[in-house]
Amino acid sequence: MPPTREHDDEQQLVLRLQAGEAAAYREAVRRYTPGMLAVARYYTDHSSAEDIVQECWTRVVSAIASFEGRASLKTWLHRIVANQAKNSLRRSQREVQTDFSEALEPQLASRFRSDGRWSQPPQLSTRETAESLLENGALGDCLDKHLSQLPEAQRSALMLYEAHQRQSAEVCNILGVSTSNLRVMLHRARQKIFLMVEHFQETGQC
Amino acid sequence: MLMCRDLAVIASDYIEGDLPLTQRLSVRTHLMMCRHCRSFVANLRNSIELMKGHSDQRLDDRYARRLDEEIERALASQSKDGSGPDQG
Ligand SMILES: [Zn+2]
Repeated sequence: MPPTREHDDEQQLVLRLQAGEAAAYREAVRRYTPGMLAVARYYTDHSSAEDIVQECWTRVVSAIASFEGRASLKTWLHRIVANQAKNSLRRSQREVQTDFSEALEPQLASRFRSDGRWSQPPQLSTRETAESLLENGALGDCLDKHLSQLPEAQRSALMLYEAHQRQSAEVCNILGVSTSNLRVMLHRARQKIFLMVEHFQETGQC
Repeated sequence: MLMCRDLAVIASDYIEGDLPLTQRLSVRTHLMMCRHCRSFVANLRNSIELMKGHSDQRLDDRYARRLDEEIERALASQSKDGSGPDQG
């Protein structure tokens, strides 16, 4: 990893954590907990996920001494959470109940003719940026609704990837899914969001 | 030849720059000729951005404070054991 400002920041933070500085923990909690929760949510419901992440933080207090910086602090924390979640939930292991054999969402797949061309092409109108789209609060709500309708495991994998761990190899490693499954999961979720945004722009409704 | 449907399948990889060169070139060629797929890719790119911006959930304040307290307790018991770092 080339020395970046983020990297230096992290090294500083690690040193302070290793020195047992409470303020450093407060900082780390706020920086890393959302991602840790996303990992735990892959395995379990919201309140158990909070318990698991809490246990992990207390374990970190004694384990941080052995942190050697081979992975980033974030990845190290994510792995601790994944292990903890797998251990405590072995009995009730969730399954990702999505059909990964198809690369396209059925609703999107049905918009092509049999020769592979569009029969219902996408709207041309979207010239708005994501930012200006989100200024419409109703769209944000709609996005929430659609995200919450995704299967839990699929959603947390998506969140983990999009918001916290941009490296798919790490995400696969942490969640124990294959690269191709993760890929299809991401693609399908994105297609769903595409369909949702298009519908929203056409009708003004979620 | 790459059809619109094929392009939709790999569009997500194309946007992330994850396609091998030959596939990338055939996507580009197709996009030059097909306005429907151009708007599909543009709109899909937008959807991805939307999700990135959206998914950064904020941490519940009460929960964060609960974590602070647990950690402080753990830090205190560690330094009492003498196993922890020297707090000076
Ligand atoms: Zn096309």
